Amino acid sequence: MRAFLGKRALASLISLLGLIILVFFLSRLTGDPTSLYLPLDASLEARENFREINGLNDPLLVQFGRYMADLAVLDFGDSIRRSEPALDVVLRAFVWTLQLAAITMTLVTVAAIVIGSLAAFHVGGLFDRIATFFSLIGASAPDFWIAIVAIVTISLNVAFIPTSGTGTVWHWILPVGVLFIRPFGLILQVVRSSMITTLGAAYVKTARAKGVKNKSVIFVHALRNALLPVITVIGDQAAALLNGAVVVETIFGFPGVGKLMIDSILQRDFTVVLAAIFVTAIAIFVMNLIIDILYAVLDPRIRY
Amino acid sequence: MTHKFTTLAAALLASTCATAAFAQDSNVTVVLAEELDLVDPCMTSRSNIGRVLQQNVSETVTELVPGTGIQPRLATAWEDRGDGTWRFTLREGVTFHDGSTFDAEDVAHSIARIKTDAIVCEIGAKFFGGMELTTEVVDATTIDITTDPAQPILPLLMSTVTVVPSETTMDAFLDTPIGTGPYTFDEYNVGQNITLSAYDGYWGETPAVTSATYVFRSDSAVRAAMVETGEADIAPSIALQDAVSEDMDFSYPNSETVYLRIDNGTAPLDDVRVRKAMNHAIDREAFVGTILADGTLLATGMTPPSTIGYNAELEPYSYDPDMARQLLEEAAADGVDTEAEITLVGRLNNFGNVLETMEAVTQMLQDVGLNVNLEMYEVAEWEGLYSKPFAEDRGPMMVQAMHDNASGDPVFSMFFKYASDGLQSGVTDPKLDQMIADATAATDDEREQLWSDAFAYIHEEIVADVLLFHMVGFTRVNERLDFAPSIKTNSELQLSQIKFAE
Repeated sequence: MRAFLGKRALASLISLLGLIILVFFLSRLTGDPTSLYLPLDASLEARENFREINGLNDPLLVQFGRYMADLAVLDFGDSIRRSEPALDVVLRAFVWTLQLAAITMTLVTVAAIVIGSLAAFHVGGLFDRIATFFSLIGASAPDFWIAIVAIVTISLNVAFIPTSGTGTVWHWILPVGVLFIRPFGLILQVVRSSMITTLGAAYVKTARAKGVKNKSVIFVHALRNALLPVITVIGDQAAALLNGAVVVETIFGFPGVGKLMIDSILQRDFTVVLAAIFVTAIAIFVMNLIIDILYAVLDPRIRY
Repeated sequence: MTHKFTTLAAALLASTCATAAFAQDSNVTVVLAEELDLVDPCMTSRSNIGRVLQQNVSETVTELVPGTGIQPRLATAWEDRGDGTWRFTLREGVTFHDGSTFDAEDVAHSIARIKTDAIVCEIGAKFFGGMELTTEVVDATTIDITTDPAQPILPLLMSTVTVVPSETTMDAFLDTPIGTGPYTFDEYNVGQNITLSAYDGYWGETPAVTSATYVFRSDSAVRAAMVETGEADIAPSIALQDAVSEDMDFSYPNSETVYLRIDNGTAPLDDVRVRKAMNHAIDREAFVGTILADGTLLATGMTPPSTIGYNAELEPYSYDPDMARQLLEEAAADGVDTEAEITLVGRLNNFGNVLETMEAVTQMLQDVGLNVNLEMYEVAEWEGLYSKPFAEDRGPMMVQAMHDNASGDPVFSMFFKYASDGLQSGVTDPKLDQMIADATAATDDEREQLWSDAFAYIHEEIVADVLLFHMVGFTRVNERLDFAPSIKTNSELQLSQIKFAE
């Protein structure tokens, strides 16, 4: 296991380095941020001064060398936009994203596994049809539309549910609810499909023939084997949320890392873009590692 | 890294324990479209920063009041002493939020700070570029300010200078601004809110609003809904489609002017008949009340009617496609290549329905026979095409832009937009250069007349560009407030002017 972890860490480090180099040079292709930070009628002297202060006058390779040297001691530089360390800006936002992703994926996982398993037990039955119908709608509906409709229909009519923002537990209801819908629909479909296959396996039929109760057949015998593909999809969906739920964060005023990344790209705040990519990449690496370990826990045949 | 984990843990705790920002009692909640990246008083010319800080936390030396003109604020009187020097008499009995006494040294330091090289202050870059500023403290309440070249409108320019204590650092932006205004800057929870509260030691009247919370939502529908539910009291910059409440939504001229900057130096745009044809080709009235708000004015000048020297006698070009075609035929007969491809550059997200507006404008220009190709750009790329230095091989080009002038004087617009050396000027005309220089140097009635003449020359004689609209903004205000937005709401929102409805 230790060798496996070492290999994964090394592979991730190489990927991360490649990603940083790629993003560093690609972001510079998007142009000089000076005109975005200064008024349109700023003098040429003011523009020159801004470039000098922010190190934008140096050749690109010199800027890159300086950046990598600082990165080696985990110094990501200061945000041009906010005049504070870029890593502080990103970590502050990442906390919100992490909470949003953790709460949403916990609810999605529990709900999709329970409902998907029950739907698979009576394929074509009323419960299965209802679950399939709503999960397909959920998987297809765009986030921004659901978010606006939720505000207009719920917040304007239910006094204790705020339209947006942060502060109380009620502020989490709409963002989590909106984020819940799409991965729930998708994962429910995967659970259902995987469970249908597993419930048809010989060992499940044997268990049934021996008179094992339905609840045990589904949640003890079949579910564990059906979960491997489900975990892969859960990991995929969680990774998407860790990258930031841009639409939901924007509409509900959630100060997460997705909105921060988009704003930073538009503002050419290069240090924040790179720090955000670094932090989310590390988070996704850790999450993938957890998923690999879960595979081994669920299926004893898998060993690293 | 320990510090990073502390930051992470603190943020985690704060995010779960923070209190809700519901509108209540004498607290006012303002929901803004854009979060503040900086909270330094020397950046208040950025509208999102100005709306929070200007005249609330940080006061200016003088104040521009719409419809009234320049009024005293921290300065009570001023006089022109000649040779570019103005003497300002400062208000007595004013203290900063840290308890220190306001005096002339603070004004001198604030002026030096907006011009420092260590940080780029937007007020300095925007209003004081290309001029030397020197100050001489005469006594605690008197200061002489000299500009080179001389600025006859220095009292107006001083309405942009926010005053900070003389101990304020010159080397870094502030994260807790200290001013003399009626409100202290209490806290900035980045990503969530800013809170201000009334300053007990304020020199002026005690305001009705005792505290304010600013929150940030980029979606217009959400901002409008927040006022409707009572979560917020004021939401500036509501989109046209969300301004549906007669009781809560106020429309007002927002000091923005939309126009097409024409590259006057490149054929076929160097021919005045082609430029006139473009003006006659566009049915401006068709936009108003359809994809642009009712109340939008047709523009005949770069600045809104509230600016001095606005020439009310000028008429917008009539929509006359036949006239446009005839002008193009005349130009073609003289050898002008009227079929050359002209690039029309638009700016994405510049205002509500900008894409629809630009597509319609393009179609109208094409309908009279012009070979116009519309290209919409995101702001950074757009700015590269809008400002000098222009690319040598750009070809004939027009650039759609929206220009804001809430200052009341065209001087903040005319040099940049029309002088031969202006950063966004498509014109090279020595006569116009002289007119702008003369108007800039003049005062009082003469100044007003000279600006008026310059507007007429640009619009009627050289037809420098296609002036389109003076825009209208919407602000939603909760009915519990007695407050009407004005043209200044675009750049500042004085909490002390807000009252509560009976």
